Amino acid sequence: MNSPRWSTVRAAVQCAAWVAFIALLIATRDPLPAGGASDIVPQMSVHLGIAASFSARTVLSAFLPGAIIVLATAVFGRLFCGWLCPLGATLDVSDRLWNPAKRNRLKNAEKSISLKRYKYILAAVSLLLALSGIQAAGIIDPLSLATRSYITVLYPFADYIVKGVFTIAGGFPLIGAITEPVFSFLKDSVLDYNPVLFANHLWVLLFFILLLSLSSLMRRFWCQSLCPLGAILALSSRISFFRRIVDTEKCTRCLRCVKACRMNAISDDGTGTSPVECIQCLECLDSCEYGAIRFGFIRAFKKKAGGDPRKSVRPGFSRRDVLAGAITALTLVPAFRLNAAYRADSSAVIRPPGALPESEFLSLCVRCGECMKVCPTNGLHPTFVESGIEGMFTPRLIPRIGWCEKNCNLCMQVCPSGALRPLEVPQKETAVIGTAVITRDLCIPWAEHRNCIVCEEVCPTAMKSIRLKEETIIDKTGRPVKVKLPFVLETVCIGCGICENKCPVHGSAAIRVRTRKTPANI
Amino acid sequence: MNFHLKLPRRDFIRATAGLLAGYILLPLITGKFRKLYAAAPMPLTGDSLFVVQGNDISKDTIFRMIEKGFAGIGDVGRFVKKGMNVVIKPNIGWNSSPEMPHNTNPYMVEAVARTCVRAGARVTIFDRSVNSARLTYRASGIRQAAENAGADIVFVDDRKFRTVRVPGALLHSTLHVYEDILNADCVINMPVAKHHSSSTLTLSMKNLMGVLGGNRGIYHGDIHSSIVDFNKAIKVHLVIMDATRILLRHGPNGGTQRDVRETKTIVFGTNPVTVDAFTATLFGMKPRDLMFLALASKEGMGEIDTSRMKITRASV
Repeated sequence: MNSPRWSTVRAAVQCAAWVAFIALLIATRDPLPAGGASDIVPQMSVHLGIAASFSARTVLSAFLPGAIIVLATAVFGRLFCGWLCPLGATLDVSDRLWNPAKRNRLKNAEKSISLKRYKYILAAVSLLLALSGIQAAGIIDPLSLATRSYITVLYPFADYIVKGVFTIAGGFPLIGAITEPVFSFLKDSVLDYNPVLFANHLWVLLFFILLLSLSSLMRRFWCQSLCPLGAILALSSRISFFRRIVDTEKCTRCLRCVKACRMNAISDDGTGTSPVECIQCLECLDSCEYGAIRFGFIRAFKKKAGGDPRKSVRPGFSRRDVLAGAITALTLVPAFRLNAAYRADSSAVIRPPGALPESEFLSLCVRCGECMKVCPTNGLHPTFVESGIEGMFTPRLIPRIGWCEKNCNLCMQVCPSGALRPLEVPQKETAVIGTAVITRDLCIPWAEHRNCIVCEEVCPTAMKSIRLKEETIIDKTGRPVKVKLPFVLETVCIGCGICENKCPVHGSAAIRVRTRKTPANI
Repeated sequence: MNFHLKLPRRDFIRATAGLLAGYILLPLITGKFRKLYAAAPMPLTGDSLFVVQGNDISKDTIFRMIEKGFAGIGDVGRFVKKGMNVVIKPNIGWNSSPEMPHNTNPYMVEAVARTCVRAGARVTIFDRSVNSARLTYRASGIRQAAENAGADIVFVDDRKFRTVRVPGALLHSTLHVYEDILNADCVINMPVAKHHSSSTLTLSMKNLMGVLGGNRGIYHGDIHSSIVDFNKAIKVHLVIMDATRILLRHGPNGGTQRDVRETKTIVFGTNPVTVDAFTATLFGMKPRDLMFLALASKEGMGEIDTSRMKITRASV
């Protein structure tokens, strides 16, 4: 057969979309490209858009790309899932490892169909929680999951391995002469210019591995049964016009297409298709040796075209499922909220500059990790449960790893949802994210009566929020010594944390940033 | 006669072992020499200074000041020859724009780098920034300056610090020094003159902290002795001091325009101690009151008495 295989064309487009996704992620660093960066990726999720809008009680226009995709899905079906989604692309590759037999079903076929309804339940739980003011959508949304996992796990891991290999190779005189120029090119182009590491990345990794390994049960397990964005797109695609059409005259019921379908969207006799499950990967088109399958527009609202969909591949959720979702959501509200870490008047962790007051911030933050990627000091990290379950994977500043850089507002520029308000640099320079506090028992001048001044030196506020006063102290041997003692002017300190980062005391610093006190402080 | 080339197994093993040993040892040996070279004591000559006073601090004026300065010290060719590896070490420590004298004036860096490039040298510019290097290089204007001049501006690579011995050290018997400085044929130190909370002033001698690796917090305990040690370990061939604008208070990275004085001065010299002593007078200070200068003088590293310096002045 000389005509191009359609699934190959699709795979090429999917691959290009994935490359674009990676390129955008890599471009999410200083200097940002003029046309914006990978913040467009989470904005393509209508699930995030609805959830964040619900929980923040507003309509977020930032998620317009997501709305367009839903409308497109209503016409063309779930093309997004099969052709564009970066997590789908990742799964299509990893599925070859986990599931070389390309099983699209569990041993119990009915069971695999019945699992499909969990994605609706998950979407319902997510949106109902959002209605009650808790936005946990970012934790399970595929686009947040993909960006977050790539940013905090896959990219740093790849970066570390590549740098390690080149460092070893560069140590040999002759080999190094060849590898070092390549290395410096890579460092300027695709690698991170810092050694990059993320706190809690193992939890992100665990989620990600779990998600991939589910595919050992059946292909695209996540997409078939769990993806909340897929559920919303599935509902939208119920009325789509562009569908798989089977010529029942030509079809021999060989069922090759049924085996080929990664979404388990074809009825047992091979003639019926669920438009809700089909992601138009076109694999069935290539598998058919009789030319019985084509993809095309059906006449509007004529649902019968393409044979009878089997009962079990219908949308597949019942009133009982919605009820189950509602009860789950209701149970989860106190589970999320009755948490010692959750206090409406303060955050348990230091938020990036521009962050809205904690509860509004949690409503809007979609946990995509873009801010963590762009931070030039590697200061922003995913939280785990330090700020409550509700705050899972939201960004926090860990000054001992990286401080909030002066003259920099990159994180605010890439935030896709507006959880970080886009402040101009001069305003950001006065935005308080915390306050530095000196532990005198650890501080070198206070405890050991030797001069140090590093925190004062690096303090970026124009009038210095860390000052030194020279005093004569009786040291441990009873002699009077002159020492410059540092102290913090709390009213001037913005909590950037460069003092904590550069503090020469080993282990935890003698000057540390505490979180801001009240929302009124920002 | 047997023309068959014989290579007995024993000889083969010997040869292989020899080559391998050479492959491993040669870099070690050359590295050793490099350390010795770097640790050579500083020449005690160089009590002459060339001081250029400008009318203003526009780009054009600064370019002419640098031109005049090189002419005054006997042409760039005295220091830079064709094919040389030249390292220019400005202060690129802080993420600030050039309006504040937190970093070396970018026009000065551009003019000096351009002069060296035209003399046929390969010029490398870097500093180990305190703030994010990427952002600092750009905000300071020095990245652009280097690109305009055709010089290489590089980010510090943590793998490239080498341990060197410090002869006659006051405090630190070894220091971690950046490889590019050790390998350079000519090092041009281009500091900016400003107040510093720890060392009172930060001038050319302290500017060398920017080529050191590791935890630099440890140098602040006794900053003055540490500064002297830096200058015992690292050979600098030319110092060009940026005193076009000086920061009087809240240094090395704070303050507002009220803390800045336009002194419109550039100082050329070959001895960092002498250059720093002279520059201290621009702040209205006596060189001997700066402890690192007093120590350096005691160690015989240079003249700090301005009345005994050979100062030539020029204006643009």
